Amino acid sequence: MDPRLSEEQEILQKSAHDFLAEKCPKSLVRELEKDKKGYSPQLWKEVADLGWIGLAFPEKYGGSGMSFLDLAILLEEMGKACFPGPFFSTVVVGGLPILDAGSEEQKQKYLPQITSGKAIFALALTEASGKYEARSIKTRATADKNGYIINGTKLFIPDAYVADYFLCVARTDDKVKKPEDGISVFIVDAKSPGIKITVLDTIARDKQCEVVFDQVKVPRENILGKLNQRWSEIQKTIERAAIAKCCEMVGGMQAVLDMTVAYVKERVQFDSPIGVFQAVQHHCVNMLVDTEGSRAAAYDAAWRVSTGRPYSDEAAVTKAWVSDAYYRVVTAGTQAHGGVAIIEDHDMPLYYRRAKAAELAFGDARFHRKTVARKMGFKSA
Amino acid sequence: MDFELNPEDKAFQKEIREFLDKECNEHVVAEVDSMLGEGPYSKELLRKMGARKLLTPTWPLEYGGRAMGHMAESIKVDEITLHHAPFPLDGVEIGNSLLMVGNEEQKKRFLPGIAKGEIEFALGYSEPNAGSDVASVQLRSVEDGDHFILNGQKIYNTEAHFSDYHWLLTRSDPNAVKKHRGLTLFMVDLKSPGITIRPLITMAGLRTNEVFYEDVKVPKANMVGEKNGGWAVLMSALYGGGGGGSLSSGTKKVIDTLVKYVLTEKRDTEDNEWIPDAMAELYIKTQVGELMGLRATGFADLKVMPLYGGGGAASRLLGGDTRRLLYKTAMQILGPYGQLAKDSKWAQLHGEILREYMDAPRWTIVHGSQEIQKLNIATRSLGLPRK
Repeated sequence: MDPRLSEEQEILQKSAHDFLAEKCPKSLVRELEKDKKGYSPQLWKEVADLGWIGLAFPEKYGGSGMSFLDLAILLEEMGKACFPGPFFSTVVVGGLPILDAGSEEQKQKYLPQITSGKAIFALALTEASGKYEARSIKTRATADKNGYIINGTKLFIPDAYVADYFLCVARTDDKVKKPEDGISVFIVDAKSPGIKITVLDTIARDKQCEVVFDQVKVPRENILGKLNQRWSEIQKTIERAAIAKCCEMVGGMQAVLDMTVAYVKERVQFDSPIGVFQAVQHHCVNMLVDTEGSRAAAYDAAWRVSTGRPYSDEAAVTKAWVSDAYYRVVTAGTQAHGGVAIIEDHDMPLYYRRAKAAELAFGDARFHRKTVARKMGFKSA
Repeated sequence: MDFELNPEDKAFQKEIREFLDKECNEHVVAEVDSMLGEGPYSKELLRKMGARKLLTPTWPLEYGGRAMGHMAESIKVDEITLHHAPFPLDGVEIGNSLLMVGNEEQKKRFLPGIAKGEIEFALGYSEPNAGSDVASVQLRSVEDGDHFILNGQKIYNTEAHFSDYHWLLTRSDPNAVKKHRGLTLFMVDLKSPGITIRPLITMAGLRTNEVFYEDVKVPKANMVGEKNGGWAVLMSALYGGGGGGSLSSGTKKVIDTLVKYVLTEKRDTEDNEWIPDAMAELYIKTQVGELMGLRATGFADLKVMPLYGGGGAASRLLGGDTRRLLYKTAMQILGPYGQLAKDSKWAQLHGEILREYMDAPRWTIVHGSQEIQKLNIATRSLGLPRK
């Protein structure tokens, strides 16, 4: 048992923190919330040049060959900074699934574009139900002589508007017994005719989109992995993304805790800093319990991904816990601040809004508790 | 980063688990579950554990320990809890403190006996008017030649009726400007003339005690630390242990038992549709608490103090909450059957849930109430100002 970060990880953490403090101030975060693209191409290039996008990819694809745990530490810093842009979409649910399941030809073609920052990816998975379940996939890909034709509507797809490519999850066989069967993943050029993208105005202003596929043609060689057998791989992508999202959330929780502890030491009421009052202290301690618990669970899960251990159970436990815990932390932090933290230009609402969006991403607490319950043996869950 | 137990800790876990699987028999479990204190079977088991150096793994070799890290202590506590074995926590906690602040003679006199399971200590901190505000103790110690004379009363001293010594916090200077500067700590032989022990029974049926001191003589050689230096000794005992209590095998076993019960007896049906979510929440809370405790223990073993203390105290807070939630949920699952006494023919799961449900509130009060723990975390770990 060694909970420490390695020396390299500490350097990564510090350099990420320093870079984001300088280049990603909250003023930029707010500005990009209003921007339709939601990211700064300039910052994106700098991040690519720093090697962050390629961090977890092998060197032969232009990456740095670092681990998922290293990526998790970077995501934690991004969560602290409310980093805007398509990093998560491109790396965690774009590039990593290609690295897992892509043919060598696909990896050669797409991964260097990702690691160099040239291509943005988005995962076109969820549909009208908003759920991360196989039975919710209604989009169809029908074979024709040149490849496949995709029809359907994807909803809540982050960063679709700026994406160069989609990983689109679609049904390729209707005559199946289980909803998990007959699903395939396609790499789709976002400029293909028939794709219509609408940016949704969401709580975190994080550029989730509706993506309509209307007779979109995809060549056969763009199937990622094997035809009709992809749900287990999608499941893996969702679980890993849930863990990565939790690392980002832990960063947000830490930022809220730090901000609150600093504030209650300075804010004077009844002739003393409000941090002397037991009611306020309890808020802060409860926030610490939630933040440390979330970090322990998220690091354990990320470490398991990194070291090739099974991580399915841990993903469910972690995302269930962190989804609720972030809400508790950000509401307690707001309460400790009082009125000042509910004013729109305070930093707290940035975290309050992101906590909700992150809670929903890759399954909320109830979804993951159902998974845990099923693993415990409850069939009705 | 590595979340696996070290090979030596794993080996220790295997050793103590195998030992208790074999030696912690039904007689011991009956004594422990009676909550009336250690009887002959418990004492025999503790001696056997002591002979194998299973009681004090963190202590130096010369005092009967194994010179292992805090993780081994956590493993020991976990296995004892899992097996319903007797819990010699107080002796070990006091020994940890003696290692830091005791003199050589005291270490030689007491530590090997504690390690062998032959000497048992009872904590003597609380008084009727000194609970969370422990620095307000009034039990008086007056110096008299080569000894001190003690007069006053202690309360909630759970091990007093079967222990050999009392780890006693006393008021030695009633005029101290700051009350915590006028305290002195003694190890008092509980067979000393003038000591009266009266039982207090909790709502769970657990025996604790009131202990009365009337002109009790204690030799100066049994004073720990300096005269009027009792506060430092107390702090070393309360905060010197490092890890401990981070693993949750006992709780997970209860969760497993409940899941099996629901699946076989109550059925996993529509009527019980709330149960899977509630049980999942319990499991998740347990798992998160365990991981947080493991991390904190890992930091303590590496002598690293991360920002905000690394979560050790926080994991204990969560653990107390989880325990209450566990038995609240268990009682809800049992419904009306949960209220039945153990010997009723209708009692479910051997009637054990009721006892634990009644005992659960104790765990968020003993060894520093949650509110006091939060005060400590707020001021020590988060650096919030004191009043």
